[in-house]
Amino acid sequence: MHLVRHVVPMLALLSLAAAPLAAQNTGTVRGQVVDSTTRQALSGVTVQIQGTQRITTTGPDGNFSLGDVPAGSVVVRATRIGFAPEQQVVTVTAGGTAEAQFEMSPQASLLEAVIVTGYGTQRREAITGSVASIDATAANVGVKTNVTQLLQGRAAGVEIIQNNGEPGAGAQILIRGGSSVSARNDPLYVIDGVPINNVASEPAANGWTGNPSLARNPLNLLNPADIASITVLKDAAATAIYGSRASNGVILVETKRGQAAGGPSFEYDGNVSTSSPARSLGVLTGSEYRSFVQGSVADWRADSTAFAGRHGPADTIFTLHFGDSAATFNALDPSHLTTLGAANTDWEGALTRASLTHNHNLSFAGGSEDTRYRASMNYAKQQGVTLSSGLERIQGRLSASHSNLNNRLRIGLNVTSSRVNNTYLTYENQGGFEGGAFENVATFNPTQPITVTDSTGTRFYEVGGTTIRNPVALAHQITNIGQTTRTLGNAEAEFDVVRGLTAKINVGLDHSNGGRQEYYPIANPLGRALGNGLAQQQTLQNATQTLQTLLTYDGQVGGSTSLNVVSGYEYSKFKRDSVLGRGIGFFTDAYGFHALDAATSRTTASGASESRLASFFGRANVGLNNRFFLTGVLRYDGSSRFSAGNKWALFPALSGSWNLTQEGFMQSGPFSELRVRAGWGLQGNPSVDPYTSLITLASGSGATYPWGDAPNGGVLATSNGNPDLKWEQTAQFDAAIDFSLLNNRISGTVEYYHKNTKDLLLTVDVPQPALQSTQLKNVGQLSGHGLEFSLDALAISRPGLTWRAGLIFAADRSKVTDLGCATDSTGVESCPFYESADVSGQGQSGVRAERVMVCDPSRPGYCPGYALGTFYGPVFLGHDAAGQQVFFCTAATTGCVNGRTTIRGNPAAADYRVIGNANPDFTLGLSSQVTWKRFEMSFLVRAVVGHDVFNNTALVYSTKSNALQDKNFLRGALSDPTGIHDPAIYSSRWIEDASFVRMQNITIAYDLGIPLLMRSARSARLYLSADNLFLITGYSGLDPEVYSGTGLAVRGVDYLVYPNPRTITGGLRLLF
Amino acid sequence: MKRLFVTKSIGAGALVGLLILSLHGCTDLDETPVSLITPGNFFRTEAEVLAGLAGVYAQLRSTAPEGAIYDANEVTTDEIVVPIRGSDWNDNGQWIDLHNVTWTPTSIATSNFFNGAWNSAYTGVARANLFLSAMENATVPNKARYLAEGRALRAFYYYILMDQFGGVPVVTTTEIALKPRSTRRELFDFIESELIAARDSGLPDTWGPENNGRFSKGGADAILANMYLNAGVFTKDGAGTGGINATAYNSCANITVSTGPDACAAAIAAADRILNSGNYSLADSFHQNFRFDNYRSPENIFVVKFIPEDGLGMGITMAALHYCQYAPLTPWNGFSTLAQSYNAFDPADKRRNAILIGPQRDVLTGALATVRVSGACPAYSPAVALVFTDTIRDIRSANESEGARIYKWPADPAHVAQNSGNDFAWFRLGEIYLIKAEAQHVLGQDGPALTVLNTLRARTDPVAPALAAVSDSVILSERLFELFGESKRRQDLIRFGKFTGRTDAASGLIGGKVARPDYYVLMPVPQTQINANPLLTQNPGY
Repeated sequence: MHLVRHVVPMLALLSLAAAPLAAQNTGTVRGQVVDSTTRQALSGVTVQIQGTQRITTTGPDGNFSLGDVPAGSVVVRATRIGFAPEQQVVTVTAGGTAEAQFEMSPQASLLEAVIVTGYGTQRREAITGSVASIDATAANVGVKTNVTQLLQGRAAGVEIIQNNGEPGAGAQILIRGGSSVSARNDPLYVIDGVPINNVASEPAANGWTGNPSLARNPLNLLNPADIASITVLKDAAATAIYGSRASNGVILVETKRGQAAGGPSFEYDGNVSTSSPARSLGVLTGSEYRSFVQGSVADWRADSTAFAGRHGPADTIFTLHFGDSAATFNALDPSHLTTLGAANTDWEGALTRASLTHNHNLSFAGGSEDTRYRASMNYAKQQGVTLSSGLERIQGRLSASHSNLNNRLRIGLNVTSSRVNNTYLTYENQGGFEGGAFENVATFNPTQPITVTDSTGTRFYEVGGTTIRNPVALAHQITNIGQTTRTLGNAEAEFDVVRGLTAKINVGLDHSNGGRQEYYPIANPLGRALGNGLAQQQTLQNATQTLQTLLTYDGQVGGSTSLNVVSGYEYSKFKRDSVLGRGIGFFTDAYGFHALDAATSRTTASGASESRLASFFGRANVGLNNRFFLTGVLRYDGSSRFSAGNKWALFPALSGSWNLTQEGFMQSGPFSELRVRAGWGLQGNPSVDPYTSLITLASGSGATYPWGDAPNGGVLATSNGNPDLKWEQTAQFDAAIDFSLLNNRISGTVEYYHKNTKDLLLTVDVPQPALQSTQLKNVGQLSGHGLEFSLDALAISRPGLTWRAGLIFAADRSKVTDLGCATDSTGVESCPFYESADVSGQGQSGVRAERVMVCDPSRPGYCPGYALGTFYGPVFLGHDAAGQQVFFCTAATTGCVNGRTTIRGNPAAADYRVIGNANPDFTLGLSSQVTWKRFEMSFLVRAVVGHDVFNNTALVYSTKSNALQDKNFLRGALSDPTGIHDPAIYSSRWIEDASFVRMQNITIAYDLGIPLLMRSARSARLYLSADNLFLITGYSGLDPEVYSGTGLAVRGVDYLVYPNPRTITGGLRLLF
Repeated sequence: MKRLFVTKSIGAGALVGLLILSLHGCTDLDETPVSLITPGNFFRTEAEVLAGLAGVYAQLRSTAPEGAIYDANEVTTDEIVVPIRGSDWNDNGQWIDLHNVTWTPTSIATSNFFNGAWNSAYTGVARANLFLSAMENATVPNKARYLAEGRALRAFYYYILMDQFGGVPVVTTTEIALKPRSTRRELFDFIESELIAARDSGLPDTWGPENNGRFSKGGADAILANMYLNAGVFTKDGAGTGGINATAYNSCANITVSTGPDACAAAIAAADRILNSGNYSLADSFHQNFRFDNYRSPENIFVVKFIPEDGLGMGITMAALHYCQYAPLTPWNGFSTLAQSYNAFDPADKRRNAILIGPQRDVLTGALATVRVSGACPAYSPAVALVFTDTIRDIRSANESEGARIYKWPADPAHVAQNSGNDFAWFRLGEIYLIKAEAQHVLGQDGPALTVLNTLRARTDPVAPALAAVSDSVILSERLFELFGESKRRQDLIRFGKFTGRTDAASGLIGGKVARPDYYVLMPVPQTQINANPLLTQNPGY
């Protein structure tokens, strides 16, 4: 390490010595690029002198000119998205001008020829790892709030599930199925070369009505319109350069820069959208509920003759509140009639709305050969499809670059600053005894009105001081807002030491300041129950500093060997500070959250943490005759978060490719390109919180004890520490075939991978006594393999008509293969298992839907390993005559007759079985883009097939027993034979196949004739776009794509999710 | 021109070089938390020691109502039942498993209650161990007293483990290590010696009002008295021959303890030290012991302190009360009392007022309460009156007004949300009287025993008419009346040989408890604990 530490600065010093090189004799290269099929000039083509930093782009007339080109024979290379790269050799004389004319032919894939691969770029053909790049422009259609949404359905093996339909909602991203059980599975995001600390930038709300709504996406700071390219590094060979943070994949985002060609440009892109919920829960309407209650009471009364005979008329209490036979007990007693109101309220309709969104982007860019700039502004205001939910963003971005010393020194600056204002509806995402807005939509009596008017005025109708609350009142009366101001900037300087050798320094700063304000007013029953008004303010600051120094060599060794070497050092420091103030008990709602000092009871809290990451790394890529490529990577990472002695780890990778089309025997085949590649590498996951390896003492109410009736602040140990804590490590092998057919009209990749994660970070029970009952330890293994396939086709390419289509397919199979198992003396293997996925709802405490396990507890010694997201529970068989639920059981269980339970209630735990798997068999994405004259039509269809979802919403709200508490329920319960007194029991009955096909987006654009609009406009385009236009699924809940909860690898649980919208967008794009 | 070029080159190169050089101090990855403390840099001043000690005391909250330890002591007995009401309180059948004594080492009651009890008590032990080990090197005033408090608290946490699980591993260091179980007798002796050492090495006789609630000599003697009375159970590792008698009285007579050959005599001696200390007296009224201001009760010996603040209050009222009788809060309508227990009280016994039955009122406003209509509490009318019944027809499917309710700790008018300021007494003078009387009865001293029992009944505001005679069943009943809901019923039933034989009264309770095998007198060691520590052996029978 010490050696490496000193090599870098020495090399840098060498650069000083080498700096004053004499100026060389130079000349100019110029020419024009045209499309080989249409013969029209091509603008936006990147023209580069290979092996140098001399780069330019063609203007609208297809012309280019490059000065300061070293005299001699040079390779000129032209590349453009959607066209096969071309190159030719020209001879430049000192002071002379050489001509280079290019004809480029369109090809299938819309991919850059030069790919950002982490700490530098590589030519596509030289890449030996698994890398997917996304055409950001094609993906940015409809309403897109963040970079995550651009990726959905566009890269094989990248599964993205939005948390819910909230504006700017967070998402769960699994690249190749994820690699961790309890640590994070989020990929590493790198924006303009700077890794981003992707943690929540806004303080979380408290869960006063169940668990709080989920955090919004921290990447909402970046405007999708500013993104030039997105690259996903998937396998270890590609990601190992990011070492310890790479085991969940890496997403590289490059933002748009200024262009010199064609003069300054000015662009406006604005759109307006309207959204509404795509599906509804289906609760009973007022009249349905009324007739259900009346019918049930009639059943109850049908037994009244016999009933009256058993009890005298004086026995009013008994007759009011009791039934005394199974028959009467199975219906509602007449007191429930008094609960029926005259109204007919659609609570779901009252809480949701057709929302309006508008979004405006303004940018200008330009510059000279040496100095370029781009500035952009964005204003977006997005309403959610429920009341009191939305997002507003004001964002500005500036990027500038300058080159000097005959282009040997290049400096650049990128700054993004954004302000995001979030408005939150108070709802639960799990838990839900008390209930937020969505629970009350499902249960609030639909025969009651939203508001009532009497002599005191109009106010929200409330049933009283109970857990049932008017959801519309919750939305209107509770304030829950958040805002984040975030600035992301980096400055870089690059210096060519000698030809091919470049030294670079990149300094990045990421500072966010988030706030959250909540007020639960006295006017609302929830606010009263919380102690007569509750106000809370929180702030959260995150600051990340990153420093990188790089040395890059790119050049030829001899005539046939290319060499690309990067070595560097990186240092990051992460700081976090938070403050909370809470007041309970107000005499007025007038203050809102602004005057905590008016509260009768106040709480304050604050916290801070810091962690650091230091790394040394190198990557070498050797190419032989453009035929064989070999890449080796080493990264040595140190993280402060692990225990002393385990802070440093080495992450190596090795990969290679063979371009078969360069071989003689392939020249005559159908392939215009055929390449095989394979790679292996190690990646890490450092997602543990700072200080986890230490025993730490914390203050807080848990440690406070009231001697003499005054609270004495105390401390208690919050962690057992773990002096052996180390990285989770994933080893991954990847093999692939890249191919192109029919002169690059069809291209694709077939890829297989196998990965194995060991030293899984798991919170496990520890022997007592211990300061906490559990400890974070490195236990167990997870392994998986999968197949990915992607295909791009240029189906039609002729003047006036182009049709491109893309298909991606991915199948991942992974399972837990070890959790610290032991084999007993009889040779039977037993392993601990971990229960996960708490079932939400009243009466469901202590019920868990999933298990993380290797061995099936119901089958001793059977240890095949199971996927994360394996549902485990009672097997539902049907109902008996009394409407009692019947489950599978074994003979050993009390009351088991012929394998069927006969005792009311939950079956024995020993009779639980594996009842589902939340992971899909495969996922598909199909995209298409047709350009016909001035029209362009594109769509994206996504399909996920073979995954199960636990419909927790139906379990809790699709039972008639809700009516016993005068709560509404879902329509499905009407035809359900379950008795009104049978409790809701988690079982296989609520596990549903959730396969679906979704029309993710469809867009039609029309290019206006330029003079039609105004003379100075270069281009004007009108477009109409629809998101989530239709969904084909057999799943009965709101949406078959469900948030995968926090906790131990929870997947596929659907509980009262914020509805997914269907959105129609119309927009206009003008370029001057 | 050329010179300018050279100068600029050197300048640019130097800039890059300097920036690269400037960062090579940056490989230091040591962690120093700022908003957290590590034990190594703490416990240096008396204020820091007090803060550490507060953390050890704070774990007492987990032993009080309504937590896993309390539920395991109460819902397993005839004092509390938690019936399923619709889907509410089904909770995977955990409450029924607890009530019906059908648990196994892996069943829902074990994983949610006994495992919780195991962890809660042992967390107290671990906090005390950390405190005591850090104190070894501390030089602060009153060090002996702090050490005595830490040891006494640790002994109390071990007392809970001994009561529920039998012999468990005894660990006094901070290391997390696999350790086998001690025998219950060894654990008994350890707790006894620790309490005696703490009492004699620094615990004060009393504390001033500003330290109300800290451990005193009386606290140590009260636990000792209880242990001595239960010595016939607490020194045995299981039911059966030579072990606990699950069907007859387990006497403390002739069991040797450190102070002599007879634990009953030791119990009387420990009780007398408290009774004769002059530090305690019977409260004027029984209910003074439980109200929000019960910190003033002269009966308190060792209590869990609660105050009406967020996270620091008692909340059992929420578990017991009906939705419509604690506005604006919505209680959970769960914890009920069995009819047979309610009806065991003499109607004249004022102690029965700790149970709510019949027409109900809002506990704070006194307004007549209603059942829920539309999930809400409507305006009162006789048609919707909330009337608690003593019987529960079917504990798997109860109506919302079935079951009398435990309401021994009335809601605090100053409550903050669910947090009331009532303290929970683990040991108060009432029980010391009962311990003395029972030990005297076992030793054949029925005359003095009767006097002691009648003293207890004759508070300034007498709770019940005087008793005429003493017997085993009179004493067990008297403990029910006096200590109802105070986390002692399971222990009492086991001592009297009535825990596993108990059935729910034949008043038509469906789904209720029938007699269970003898081995249930000990809780199972939760399987998760055995997985974490394979040296643990399971209790016999499971």
